[in-house]
Amino acid sequence: VSPVDRPVAVLGAGNWGTTLAHLVAKNGHRVMLWTRHPDQRDEINGRHTNARSVPDLALHPGVSAVTDLGEAIGPAELVVVAIPSQSFRAVSRIAGDVLQPDHLVVHVTKGLEVRTHRRMTEILAEETCAAQVGVLAGPNIAAEIAMGKPAGTVITSAFPRVIEVTRRALSSEQLMVFAGADVVGVELAGALKNVVAIAAGMATELDIGENAKALLVTRGLREISRVGVAMGAHPMTFAGLAGIGDLMVTCASSRSRNNRVGRALARGELLADILAALGMVAEGVYAAVSARELAAARRIEAPLLERVHRVLYEGLPVVRALEDLMRLPAGRDVGARWPGRSG
Amino acid sequence: MTPVSLRVAMGAALEDVPAVVIDRVLERAVRRADDGTGPPIDLILGETLFHERGRLAHADRARAGADREFYSGVRHAVSSARAACASELLRAVVTHYADEIHGHFDRRVYAVATRALPVGLTALLSGLSPRELLARRRIPNLEEHVVIDGEVDALRTLARRGTIILVPTHSSNLDSLVMGNSIFRLGLPPFSYGAGLNLFTNPLTGFFMSHLGAYTVDRHKTDPLYRETLKEYATVLLERAQHNLFFPGGTRSRSGAIESHVKKGLLGTGITATLHNLRAGRDGARIFVVPATCSYPLVLEAESLVSDYLEEAGRSRYVLPEDEFNRVQRWVDFLGGLLTLDLRIELVIGRPLDPFGNDVDLAGVSRDPRGRAVDAARYLRVDGAPTDDPARDAEYTRRLGARVVAAYRRDNVALPTNILAFAFLEILRRRAPRLDLYRLLRSLGPDTSVPLDEVVTEVKKIVHGLATLASRHEIRLSRQARDAGAVIPRALATFGTYHRATAIRREGDRLHVGDANLVFFYRNRLEGYGLGEPLIPQRSDA
Repeated sequence: VSPVDRPVAVLGAGNWGTTLAHLVAKNGHRVMLWTRHPDQRDEINGRHTNARSVPDLALHPGVSAVTDLGEAIGPAELVVVAIPSQSFRAVSRIAGDVLQPDHLVVHVTKGLEVRTHRRMTEILAEETCAAQVGVLAGPNIAAEIAMGKPAGTVITSAFPRVIEVTRRALSSEQLMVFAGADVVGVELAGALKNVVAIAAGMATELDIGENAKALLVTRGLREISRVGVAMGAHPMTFAGLAGIGDLMVTCASSRSRNNRVGRALARGELLADILAALGMVAEGVYAAVSARELAAARRIEAPLLERVHRVLYEGLPVVRALEDLMRLPAGRDVGARWPGRSG
Repeated sequence: MTPVSLRVAMGAALEDVPAVVIDRVLERAVRRADDGTGPPIDLILGETLFHERGRLAHADRARAGADREFYSGVRHAVSSARAACASELLRAVVTHYADEIHGHFDRRVYAVATRALPVGLTALLSGLSPRELLARRRIPNLEEHVVIDGEVDALRTLARRGTIILVPTHSSNLDSLVMGNSIFRLGLPPFSYGAGLNLFTNPLTGFFMSHLGAYTVDRHKTDPLYRETLKEYATVLLERAQHNLFFPGGTRSRSGAIESHVKKGLLGTGITATLHNLRAGRDGARIFVVPATCSYPLVLEAESLVSDYLEEAGRSRYVLPEDEFNRVQRWVDFLGGLLTLDLRIELVIGRPLDPFGNDVDLAGVSRDPRGRAVDAARYLRVDGAPTDDPARDAEYTRRLGARVVAAYRRDNVALPTNILAFAFLEILRRRAPRLDLYRLLRSLGPDTSVPLDEVVTEVKKIVHGLATLASRHEIRLSRQARDAGAVIPRALATFGTYHRATAIRREGDRLHVGDANLVFFYRNRLEGYGLGEPLIPQRSDA
């Protein structure tokens, strides 16, 4: 079996996993898409649709759905994991029965495990023998990509072969796949930016103005960069596709789930109702818990992360949260230095 | 025990190692020069001359004479030679390096060296202390003062199933003797190991080092070609199933802290050797990495090491020319201390790992974090074939290094001297919260003292914290430190036996600073366990 002939495994038939499977199949690769639901499997294999996750997409026939992890992973070299952060460990643990050291495992999950604050590659290291891992992230609203609109993304790994094989599977005229090496930075940027997106959604709903929203988002970026850098991220990663690129789309797009959560909160809806209506996972709701604890543990001032957490879990009214944030003392912007002073 | 005849055979099988090393290093350099992935040969030679000239400028005249002559010949030849000669010159340089690395290795004595070691050690130690012999006091025997604990059975078993890379912590030059002696006591066959050039030139240890299957590592040599030759040498030894020992910290811990970073160069040789074994069809040849943590109640060279640490400029000097290691009287005092107080050096053998950082069971099978069997060779295969990928292997080595460092932390033994020093400095630091490390240490003098009661309370707190950590297997608490009340007298007596200025001394109901730098040195062993605020400036190059 030559490498080109080996199928690509995609674990998780949510909207991003399904869309990625479709893109890889369009590039001429066989794709084994794993789902835990037999009805979803039958729909994908029988009608080439996945109405629950990506309603309007006619799936490429190169995508075969399976409910057996071994069937998906066994023959593959590249394994793409598209599982929400809070189920990531459970799925990894089962996948660990079939994963081998020569598998290349790339995840696309923008979140952290609550309580442990583990990144997804850390969970893979704790649950499997896979070492050749990477993360794919960037401004990638699945629905837009499913419609065939162009986009860019970044595959980040310490392993050149992970980057090479992922690019071969995914690069197309529609999708530009950039390469990166800062796995920690990309994972943290991807997870933490969802908290800022919730704040941006609140600001949009309350119509505080584009100036104020830009102020909020930029200060939010500063907060998540500081937390990220304290945890080992490279600062420039936050200025890249997986940082500001992803933040821009999440804060601007009405399709972003986290953005929608922020707007619904600002309308006074209850979190439980919002999540039920969404029908999908909004990673920022979990990331807000980790973000606050991570910042506090490192004594990093993070007023925006703090306020979002209080709105979500302590009943702080959205108006109060935004007023607080607009009244913070104005210190320095980035890079500002005065003559004769240090720091 | 391996029969002596077999060990002689092993020694014989290693005779051609330098030739293999030279061929490989040359072949690689020429291939890279040809396909443009490496520098041209004359550039490599230029770099060698540059690095070696820098080294020789500061080298001891007597020892460097031959080297100077050799390089002046090379320099002359480079400037006058035709291009065709360049690879011959490169061969001459690599041969020069390989011969030095291998030079002290003597097949005839190699086989019996480890058998002779205990006798030799006793002779060495008694030779050190003629007065004690005359006084008919008991001759100090290092063996009785080294307690070996941990995964001893696993080490013994795996040494029969494959090739071991033993990677101990490094706090003292005594480590070499402790490890060599322990390998013998555990009934293991001889290990090759990369010992610093200074161990060979030390009059007390030189003889033994050259007979321990030791090869030479000169840390002053910065030439990348030298490092490549050294790595290749260690790799070939592993491929020949020769057990290997080296200190991945690279140099003795200057601060007294346990290693939090390890050098990746030699640590990666296990992966390279595995790859070569797979290519040669030796699929069954397994290599195991075994961490070992050595904890000393007193460190022979503590004073020199810590002053070197505190002189920031000195941090790049690997070998301290005039440290305690080379002074006979210091050895006598040190060993006298061990004997009088019946002190124990605690050596803990860590859990075995494969070269990729996975746990290994007694059958030699790699295990994933959930205990499932792993076919480790597949880390190196692409579509079934073993494949070169230096970036991949560097990342595996980083993983392995992290596991080794974690083992050091877990197997570190908290001793009374560490605990008292830690508690004492915590109190003093709380009194002066605004001072940075250097100002704090400079502010402490003989007049600085703390009421004994206060120290007792702090020591109890630390011992309690350590006991909690130990119950979670995050550190080990010495038997001598389990009773918090015994820690202070024990530590004070220990400090008092050896160091010229004792670290901490008691006057009435107060404890006084004797040598603030030593207090700092001994407390650092407990840094990083969350027992107090960190004091050692963090390295940013993790």
